[in-house]
Amino acid sequence: MDNTVVISTPPHVKSKRTTRGIMLDVVIALIPCAVMGIVYFGWQAAVTELVALASCVATEFIYFFIANKGFSNKCADAGNVCKRWARQFDFTSIVSALILALVLPPRVHFYEVIIGSVFAIAIVKMLFGGTGKNLVAPSTAARVFMLLSFSVAMNVYVRPAVGAIFPDSDLIQSSATNLSGLLVSKSEIYSQPIVLMHPLDLFLGTGVAGSIGETCKAAVLVGYIYLVARKVIKWWQPVLYLGLFGIFAVFLSGFDYPSYTLDFSLFLPHILSGGVAFASVFMLTDYVTSPKGGLAQFVFLIVAAILTAVLRYFTNLEIVSFVVVLMNLLVPLFDKVFIRKPFGYKRAKKQKEANK
Amino acid sequence: MKAVKGKFYFGGVHPRDNKNLSKAAASEIMPETESVAISTQQSLGRPAICAVTEGQTVNEGELIARGDGPVSSDVFSSVCGTVTEIKEMTGANGATETFILIKSDGRNDKTYLQPLSDPSPEDIKERIKQCGIVGLGGAGFPSSVKAAPGTPVDTLILNGAECEPYLTCDYRLMLEKTDEIVRGARYTAKALGVKNIIIGIEANKPDCIAAFEPYDDIKVVILKKMYPMGGEKQLIYVTTGRKVGLGKLPADIGVVVQNVATVFAVCEAVELGKPLYERIITVSGKAVKVPKNLWVKLGTPISEIVNFCGGENFAPKKVVQGGPMTGVALASYDAYTHKTTSGILLLSEDEAAADEPTPCLNCGKCADVCPMRLMPMNTAFYSAAGDFEAAAKYGNTAACIECGACEYICPAKRPLIQAIRKTKAYIRNKK
Repeated sequence: MDNTVVISTPPHVKSKRTTRGIMLDVVIALIPCAVMGIVYFGWQAAVTELVALASCVATEFIYFFIANKGFSNKCADAGNVCKRWARQFDFTSIVSALILALVLPPRVHFYEVIIGSVFAIAIVKMLFGGTGKNLVAPSTAARVFMLLSFSVAMNVYVRPAVGAIFPDSDLIQSSATNLSGLLVSKSEIYSQPIVLMHPLDLFLGTGVAGSIGETCKAAVLVGYIYLVARKVIKWWQPVLYLGLFGIFAVFLSGFDYPSYTLDFSLFLPHILSGGVAFASVFMLTDYVTSPKGGLAQFVFLIVAAILTAVLRYFTNLEIVSFVVVLMNLLVPLFDKVFIRKPFGYKRAKKQKEANK
Repeated sequence: MKAVKGKFYFGGVHPRDNKNLSKAAASEIMPETESVAISTQQSLGRPAICAVTEGQTVNEGELIARGDGPVSSDVFSSVCGTVTEIKEMTGANGATETFILIKSDGRNDKTYLQPLSDPSPEDIKERIKQCGIVGLGGAGFPSSVKAAPGTPVDTLILNGAECEPYLTCDYRLMLEKTDEIVRGARYTAKALGVKNIIIGIEANKPDCIAAFEPYDDIKVVILKKMYPMGGEKQLIYVTTGRKVGLGKLPADIGVVVQNVATVFAVCEAVELGKPLYERIITVSGKAVKVPKNLWVKLGTPISEIVNFCGGENFAPKKVVQGGPMTGVALASYDAYTHKTTSGILLLSEDEAAADEPTPCLNCGKCADVCPMRLMPMNTAFYSAAGDFEAAAKYGNTAACIECGACEYICPAKRPLIQAIRKTKAYIRNKK
């Protein structure tokens, strides 16, 4: 035996899953959405995606380079820093870039994408300590930032190249910017909420004006199935959030009828419109910015679902990214409150009784 | 009795078990080595006090060190020969231990106790203590303490889970010595005064399950294949549905758990009067030429065991004494077997992942797999910051059984067990 043996604390065997592998799985799960975005919204969508990818990775690299003093006089140092960057590269910036690109409207300008990407990586992620240390999801925070900064460009939605299967002509024409196919719930023209699009169209994203990646729910579903199969996310997380959100949205929509009615035909349009489906799979399940432990995640998703439904009802806006950022900020609180009780734990009161 | 399925248990991990390497190898008796080095630290608690002097001639099975206190056990010579030296050496876990070096002289004289026929409960308890039997599963808790619980017990559970990957020694033992295990279990049950004997066997050992089914007084429970199914608290819950409270012993809820190898030792102690100085171990891993299950004497040098198994295929990345999930990594072959050594593993680079840790992702996978429902990431987070109080509070470290499931699953390869042990040591020293 030579001197190469390693000593460490147990366990001596470890699973083959790594951070890099998990993030690569998320990238793969995002590919269907990215491809459908290009199919629906053309080359501009492809440009947005590529610009976001390039600028996110470049920002991360430059930040790492500066932070590790790559700009010293010696070339060898710079080379070492590059090598170290390559070794620690874990695909998280690619995930952030893809999610950011997919939640943007298709006709956003490329320089706006660059600014958003730099904000996401440099300020939201790296300034807080890099992978695993960010308080809010970089991509979601960047979307909110862009929505507030470039509110005109960020609200231009176009229809995809593929038309609706069930065109209900005059309704579609009358709502040029219907925010990813949101319901117009408190309309003055109609006495009750009306569904602008057929649920199948909403599911496939055909004829729905929306964000690049959020429009095609079928692609989101493919990504969901992949992530669950690879055990990256828990199957019940998106189901719980979407289901609860849909039920609350239906409850609230009941107030828009002349007399209160529960109309469960609105359930599917509610959960299939806008970005909730995408957010439930890719944003709310983000490891870094969701609480730890099953119970905390359960409560977290319930609160998020109620908030989304309420805010959407009262603002009539695509509000889900604001909700995600807000919930992200509450995560440290969830982590403090929901400390699991160990196996075999008995509440103090019960224990006293047992001792008597 | 017909085998029944155990209760559902949450969490746990499913490492590749690699038991096929040594599963088919019938147990062999390893020939006596030239010399042995027997540590006086063979159980939990204080080390035993040396009872021999240098130059003294001892027989196989003769007492060489006497237990010091109730949770310390007697130590016996495993060979016939002369005590050459008594010296302090660094043991496998890095602590200094007193070793008694005995040079074999090739005699075959055995000093056994009188065999017992139809023993009373008191006789059995006395015999378990006299023969220095400790829990052979790994912890090394003296069986004499378990055999005399302070609270009334009604169930004896035999631990045949062997959930650690690689290890097959209990598997071979259950197949080859079924009858002795059953007799040993009956003696142990008689000493405890219980009628109810349950054996828990993981589902990946169907031949063992079949071997125990014919015995009418033993209830066989099939356990889901999961690590750590053989953890004491997990095993008790799955087989009986009872939960061991925090800081409580199994005896507090009327249960005693013994490893199958331990009850086999009880059987030998009662029927032959043989003290515990020999045990079955697994030598496995991809770096060892011929994986084997061996009957090895206490204090045998690891290097001799590796040589007996044909030596190395290639240089191993890690040498582990015990199972891969809880065992101790050795710095060299210059170590000796203990009563609790259940295996010697020579792991290749491919098997023993030693990746660099990356930043914690807060994914919570460690909490999801924790069989004790703890939150290891909190312990790691606060202990890294030096706040061990918070680490113990938010991670509930006191209840940790150090099974290693959290660190196994961690995608960032964080050293969680190290953080937990550090926190535990801090809390222990503070008291």
